[in-house]
Amino acid sequence: MQADVVIVGAGPAGLACALHLARLIDTYNQGQPQGALSKENIYLLEKGRALGAHQLSGAVMDPRGLRELEPGFAADAELGAIPVQDDALLLFTRDHALRAPITPPPLHNHGNYIVSLNRLAQWLGAKVEAAGINVFTAFAGANLLFDGARLTGVRTDDKGVGRDGQPKSNFEPGYDLQSPIVVLAEGPRGSLSQQLIGHLGLRGTNPQVFSLGVKELWELPPGRFPKGRVFHTLGFPLSTDMYGGGWIYGFDDNRVSIGLMTALEYRDPATDPHNLFQQFKTHPYMRRLLQGGELVRYGAKTTPMGGWYSLPPTAGDNWLLIGDSAGFVNSQRLKGIHLAIKSGMLAAESVFEQLTGRGSLRDYPQKVAASWIREELWPVRNFHQGFEYGLLPGMANAALQMATGGRGWRDPLPTVSGPDRLIKIDQLGDRPFELVPDGKLTFNKVTDVFHSGTRHEEDQPAHLVIGDWDICNHRCTIEYGNPCQHYCPAFVYEMQFDDNGQRKLHLNPSNCVHCKTCDIMDPYRNITWVPPEGGGGPSYEGM
Amino acid sequence: MNPILVIAERKITAPGKLNPASLEALTAAQALGEKLGAPVVAAVLEAGESGCAAECAARRLERVLVARHPLLGAYSPDVWVQALVQIITPLQPSYVLLPHTYQVRDFAPQLATRMGAGLISDVTGFNFASTPPRFQRPMFQGKFTAEFGFSGEGVPGFCTVQIGAFRSDQAAMGAQPAPITAVAVTPEPSRLEAGEIFQEAKQAVDLTQAPIIVSVGRGIKEPKNLDLVRELATALGAELAASRPICDAGWLPMDRQIGSSGQTVAPKLYLAVGISGAIQHLVGMKGSRTIVAINKDPEAPIFEVADYGIVGNLFDVVPALIALLKENPA
Repeated sequence: MQADVVIVGAGPAGLACALHLARLIDTYNQGQPQGALSKENIYLLEKGRALGAHQLSGAVMDPRGLRELEPGFAADAELGAIPVQDDALLLFTRDHALRAPITPPPLHNHGNYIVSLNRLAQWLGAKVEAAGINVFTAFAGANLLFDGARLTGVRTDDKGVGRDGQPKSNFEPGYDLQSPIVVLAEGPRGSLSQQLIGHLGLRGTNPQVFSLGVKELWELPPGRFPKGRVFHTLGFPLSTDMYGGGWIYGFDDNRVSIGLMTALEYRDPATDPHNLFQQFKTHPYMRRLLQGGELVRYGAKTTPMGGWYSLPPTAGDNWLLIGDSAGFVNSQRLKGIHLAIKSGMLAAESVFEQLTGRGSLRDYPQKVAASWIREELWPVRNFHQGFEYGLLPGMANAALQMATGGRGWRDPLPTVSGPDRLIKIDQLGDRPFELVPDGKLTFNKVTDVFHSGTRHEEDQPAHLVIGDWDICNHRCTIEYGNPCQHYCPAFVYEMQFDDNGQRKLHLNPSNCVHCKTCDIMDPYRNITWVPPEGGGGPSYEGM
Repeated sequence: MNPILVIAERKITAPGKLNPASLEALTAAQALGEKLGAPVVAAVLEAGESGCAAECAARRLERVLVARHPLLGAYSPDVWVQALVQIITPLQPSYVLLPHTYQVRDFAPQLATRMGAGLISDVTGFNFASTPPRFQRPMFQGKFTAEFGFSGEGVPGFCTVQIGAFRSDQAAMGAQPAPITAVAVTPEPSRLEAGEIFQEAKQAVDLTQAPIIVSVGRGIKEPKNLDLVRELATALGAELAASRPICDAGWLPMDRQIGSSGQTVAPKLYLAVGISGAIQHLVGMKGSRTIVAINKDPEAPIFEVADYGIVGNLFDVVPALIALLKENPA
C-alpha cells in the first residue's frame, strides 16, 4: 500500500508530530485551492490496543513543549495536569528520611505539572484524530522495508499466527506500507529503531544507556499526601555504586505515583530493579505513607539516559528518529516529555517541507540544534556518564559540569553500554539481598503484572527472540547466573529444571510489559524484542 | 451478456446439504446480476446426487450446473481446481463468486492463478456507482473499507464473499425451479492424501457448568503425573481443570484453563492440587463455594482463599484421598 508518511508510535513525540503536521497541512491547503495536500495517506501506527495503553511515566512535565503545541492545556480539565505545589529531595538511609535543605536546582519543579502520560496520550490522540489523521491502534510496526540501504517503508504485524508459526484461522498478513517518509517515535529502545540503527550502522558519540523505572499507582487515605507535591529520593535501597533514585508524586483523587529508577549500568547481574522497588516501599517513610493504601496499577519502562552524546544520527533521506527513540531526555532534570513533543513538532516541520518540496528531512538535525532542545541538552551532555564511577564521583562531576557549561572534567565523557559493565558471578562475593514480598505492601512480579492490565493473545510465537538457546542454558548460567530472571520486571524469564536436573530457560511472553530491559541488558546481545501481535501488552490507565 | 457464476459448497460434516454460506454468496451474485443485467448461474460439485443442486435450483437462477464425478466426493484442492476450470472456461462468466469459507480459502487462490485471473477476497459489498462495479472489503481490521476493481480482459473476476455480509434468507426464490444441467468434468486423482477431518473442539467441556472441579498446577511436575489427579477427579465425579502453566505446556488443552486468560468458574467444590495461587488464577476461581487446596508450601497464596487447606506433598495426599473416596463412595 502506498503511504505519504508513516509515523510509528503514538506517544508524545509521534502524536505531537502528527498533530502539528495536520495543522501545517491545513494552513497550507487554505492558500492552495489546487494542489492541496491530502492527510489521508498519513498513517500513525500504535501497537497498544488503545491510545495511551503503553504510555507510562512518573511524570512531572515541563510545560514548554505542550505550551507550543496546545497553549491552553493547563486549564483543560480533561487532561488533568496538576501544577507542582512543592518539591523536595529526600535522602533515605536505612531507617531515616532526611529532607535535603536545598533542593538541587535541576529538581526544582515550580512551574511544572504532574501529569499522567497515559492520559496525555489519550488527550492528544483525540485531537490528532479530530485533525484528520488516522491512528491505527493495535497495529505494530513489525519490520522496516529496505531497498539496499534505502528505507522504503514499514511492514505492520501479521495477525493470527499461532505459537508454532503457522497461520491460524484468523490470519491476516501485515500491510507493506511503502512510504517515502518514515518517522520512528517508538519510545525507548524501539524495535524498528534498532533495525534501522543496525542496518545503517548508525552511531552516536557514545552508546545509548538506559534506566529502568518501576512504578506503582496507589490510592491513599485522604490527605495523606497532598496533590501537587513532588518528592524525589536518593539512597536506600540503592548502594553508592549504583545510580538511581525514587519518586513520589501527588495526583488528585488521593492517588500517588511512586517508583524507583535503577540505572541499567549496575555491576552485579543478580540486581533486580523490581525487587529494589519493593524494598524501597519498606523504608519507614514509605511504609507510613502507604499504610492503609491500595495498589491500583503497576508498570515498568526504560528511559534513555545518555543525553546529547548518545544521540544517533536522527535523519536520513527517508527517515527521522524522534522522542525517546532518538534519546531526547534531560537526565539531570529527569524530563523528556517536553523534548519529545518539541522533537515531534520539529519533525512535522521537516516532513511538511519535504512534502512541499521546500526542504528535506536531512535538515532535521539542524532544526534540533537551533532549537531549545539543544539549548537544554548541551549543558548536561556529560551529566549521566559521571555516575558510571559511582554516586559520589558522579555528584562531583555533576557539580563540575554545572559550573563549566557542561564540560565537566572530560568532554565528551565516554560511557560504556550497560550490559558490558556486568561482572561475572565467579568474581562476586555476597549476592544482593532479595526481599520476599508480603502481598500487602510489597508484591511479587506476577501479582504486579496482573495490576498492569497486561494481556496478550496466548497462541502466538514468543516475541522475545532468543538467538542461541545454548548460551542461555549453559554459558550464561555459569558466567552471569542468567540475569534475565532478575532484571525483567514482569517474570517473563524463568529458569526451570528439566528431567535431568539441567537448567533451562522458560519464557512467559504474555507477561511482558514492553519495557525493553531484556533487549538492552542481555550480556550476549542474545535477546531481541520484537512486537507481539498488535493490541497486546499493558493497559496503563492513569499511569 | 456474460453470466455471473456462483460456486456452491456442500457442508463438510453433512455433504448432502449446502453450506449456508453458499446461499449468502448466491444472494450477493443475484445483487450483482441484477445491477449488471446478467443472468446468475450456480455450480455444484458432487460425487452422487446430494440434493444440493435442487436446493440451489429453488432460488431465482438461470440454471444450475452439476458436475458429478467419483473424485468430487471428499474435498481436495487440486481436484476442485481442475473441475472448476473445466466448468468456468466454456461458460465465460464475467464474475465468479464463492463463499469465504475455509475450503474456498484453500483452493480459490490456486483457481484464480490457474486462470490468470484476479481474486478479491472477503468482500462485504459492492459499489455500483462506478462502471464496472467496485468490490468492497475491510482493511486494518475494519478501520477502512477499501474498494477494488479488476483489470485485464478475457478472464472472470473472482471474488469470495465474507460470511455474514449477505443474508442467505434474502436469496430471491424462483417462480419455478431453475433447470439443472449436467457438466462433464475429467479431473485427475488428487496428489494429496486427505487426513482425518479436524474439527476445532467447540467447548468440549464447559467448566462453568461443572459442580465439582479438580484443578492441577505446576506442583504436578510432569505430565505423566496427571493420571493421578485424573483418578481423583473420577473418584469425585469432578471435571479436570488446570492453571495456565499446565495448558501453556500443552499438558492439558486450553479449554481446561482457569484464570484471567482462561475460564472463570464458581463450582460447589474447587480442589486446587499443586497450585500456588497466583492472582491470575485466583480471579478465575475465588467465587467457588468451597475451596480445598493441597500444596507443600505453607506460604502459598492459595491458602488465603481456601476454606480447607492441606499442607503436604500432593503425591502423598492425593493417593490417600483416592483411597478414602474408594472406601466411602458418595
